[in-house]
Amino acid sequence: MGEATPVWAVVALPLVLAGLICSAAALDAVFCAGGRPADPLREGVRLLLQQRRRTRGADLLLMRAGVISLPVAAFLAAMVIPLGAAPVLPSSVGVVWFNAMEVVAWASLWLTGWGADSAFPLIGGYRFLAQGLAYELPHMFALITAALAAGSLDLGAVAAAQEGLWFAVWMPVAFAVYLLSALAMAFWGPMGHPLAGDVAGGVPLELAGPDRLLFFAGRLALLAVAAAAAVPLFLGGGAGPWLPAWAWSLVKTYAVLVPLVWVRQRVPVVRMDRFMQVAWTVLIPATLLQMLVVGLVVLD
Amino acid sequence: MEPYAAVLALLGLLAVVIASVYSLSYALAPPGTPAAGPFLSGARPEEHAMSRYHVRWYAVTLLFLAFDMEMVFMYPWALVVASVGAKAVVEMFAFLGLLMAGVLYAWREGALRWS
Amino acid sequence: MVLSARLARFAAARPPSFLVAAPGATGTRLRAEAELRRRDRRCVAAPPAAAVLVVCGRPGAGLGAAVERVWDGMPGPRARVGLGETASREEIAAALETTALEPAAPPSHQDEDVPMADRAADRDGLKLDVLHVPLGPVLADWPAGLALRLTLQGDIVQAAETVVVDAPEGPSFWDGPWLRAAAGQPVTVGEAERRRAASHLDGIGRLLAVAGWQHAADQARALRDEVLADTPAEALTARYAGFARRVRRSRTLRWMLTDVGVLSSETAGRYGLAGYLGDAHDRLTGRLDEIGQALAQVDAQALLTGDGGPRGPIGQRPSGALLAVLPRLMEGAELAAARLTVASLDPDIDQLAVPAEAAGG
Repeated sequence: MGEATPVWAVVALPLVLAGLICSAAALDAVFCAGGRPADPLREGVRLLLQQRRRTRGADLLLMRAGVISLPVAAFLAAMVIPLGAAPVLPSSVGVVWFNAMEVVAWASLWLTGWGADSAFPLIGGYRFLAQGLAYELPHMFALITAALAAGSLDLGAVAAAQEGLWFAVWMPVAFAVYLLSALAMAFWGPMGHPLAGDVAGGVPLELAGPDRLLFFAGRLALLAVAAAAAVPLFLGGGAGPWLPAWAWSLVKTYAVLVPLVWVRQRVPVVRMDRFMQVAWTVLIPATLLQMLVVGLVVLD
Repeated sequence: MEPYAAVLALLGLLAVVIASVYSLSYALAPPGTPAAGPFLSGARPEEHAMSRYHVRWYAVTLLFLAFDMEMVFMYPWALVVASVGAKAVVEMFAFLGLLMAGVLYAWREGALRWS
Repeated sequence: MVLSARLARFAAARPPSFLVAAPGATGTRLRAEAELRRRDRRCVAAPPAAAVLVVCGRPGAGLGAAVERVWDGMPGPRARVGLGETASREEIAAALETTALEPAAPPSHQDEDVPMADRAADRDGLKLDVLHVPLGPVLADWPAGLALRLTLQGDIVQAAETVVVDAPEGPSFWDGPWLRAAAGQPVTVGEAERRRAASHLDGIGRLLAVAGWQHAADQARALRDEVLADTPAEALTARYAGFARRVRRSRTLRWMLTDVGVLSSETAGRYGLAGYLGDAHDRLTGRLDEIGQALAQVDAQALLTGDGGPRGPIGQRPSGALLAVLPRLMEGAELAAARLTVASLDPDIDQLAVPAEAAGG
């Protein structure tokens, strides 16, 4: 805390985040059958020109609070992630901050689903709460395992502690669980049950116009931020030969983000009535064992 | 730049972006926000959807709370393991072992499976 | 305003569509889906996300009212495209090409306010809030003309009532070759097997879409359209083998479909649904096998004699039994499982129509 933030980091953060969101959307369109990279842009313009809409019994305040908090949470989480060497908010508890911001999505989805006063979004909102109960603990254990190995909750220090050997290499279980939870926190692809087709699109079903635009932009922002956080946590941060640190951060972020976007085409959606048991009886013990191994290495 | 000034500046920027999305909609889209019925496969709603929802995974929420409280200790613990030594690891994993016994019990009672 | 007119043109180039099919319009639906795919236009899961409402066939009174209500809830700029039962590919293409999006008119009718949800005892006797949520008739990846009136507590189905919304139109598109053969017309085995393969691919496409695997669902539908378009057998079998391998190998899909919508041998025997035994995954793999066998015979020139249509002996109209067994399978199921069950049974409401004369698509 207390160190000054370089001005370029403040300028770069919104640009990089916007770039990640746009390229993730374009990639997703290209991976779909018959999609074209400009499709998301077209859809965005369509939503801006579209008649706004609300459901008859909607609680607009709650619904909009849910929609708007989604990009805000992603943006706040991004502040502690170092782009190269410097985050916007250098924090000795960056890991906790990231964790706390990403949990805001629980409230966002539930508020959006409840506020619409429509049965399918309501069911979608509650589906996400169940999903949170399943993915959040393995996710937090994965985060703590990285922090434990570095002896710090500062994302910059965690990245610096990986000189020579990335955490992804010697704690693969934590890394794999982190990637899974990245999908879950952005309710993306196989973890997209709250927005699934069986409830006609779920949580954002009744949204139109600017509300819909912000909701889906917020979701991609969450996915991008989750991918970006994997870089200091498990992939050595900005370290690498030839290129400057910020460039390595970007390259590694894309190396995580592209497979996350792509996996949506490969895997059907996972339901929590099946996944909950696996999360508690396989993922939690596995991450705890991983943490024990890391703890013993740290003691040495 | 002071970190907190930077954060506030960026939040201001985000607020401007969000506000401009809505203003663009107000400038370009037809006026008003008409009310529509909820989508119910073409049927008329029989009641408000906002209701006391039957949450069948409530037992898992209690289990989750126990672990979530435990996380409060875990974040600071991660910082001191190297300096405190083996004692810290033994104590934390004994505690986690107790919690896992709870999970085992809940699993045996079928709390993790509900359909 | 030049700018906003340009933006509007840019945005309206390939608008997302929501597709509704009336009973008796399966052929139109298939042609419309194929034309939409040819234009790289997306189909979305709900009307508020769509700009174009595509109505295939002539909705009866019940479906018509449902379509009107859904149309009222669609934000403008929007368009509605009505396609007749006999609309040809060219007519459908022309209708889709010339769609002009227009601002929404004020809703034609206002619903009155509704009460808050009331409580009822659940299956364990607990008093819990109840929601009445119908599935269908206007729902994506759903059998045309079917409605399931669900009583939900949370997302658990407490009770289900099957409703056939309007009088079935018939004759069933999928049973077409067998119906014509039964009426004494000469039909080749090859043509019938093509229809069987396409019918199963259509059902599997729906099942995969409901299971949240859009990419594989699109593949199934593209294959279905090629099968119906008389693509040569060699080209089909190679592509189908790749698709079937992909679906069979998906562990996640098996994990999600196992123990969903289980039809015990006792129940299946009672309802005469021997071909539907087991759970949703058993039925999926069974159909994949049948498609493989059907594709091996698409060039067979022998005359069709049997009556074993895609859903079983057409004389027995298995869809009637499927509708009868549905409520039993719904009760106590989760909403997601309920939808998967319906998709894996894939009843064809057109089969219930009283056969006036043999005809086909």
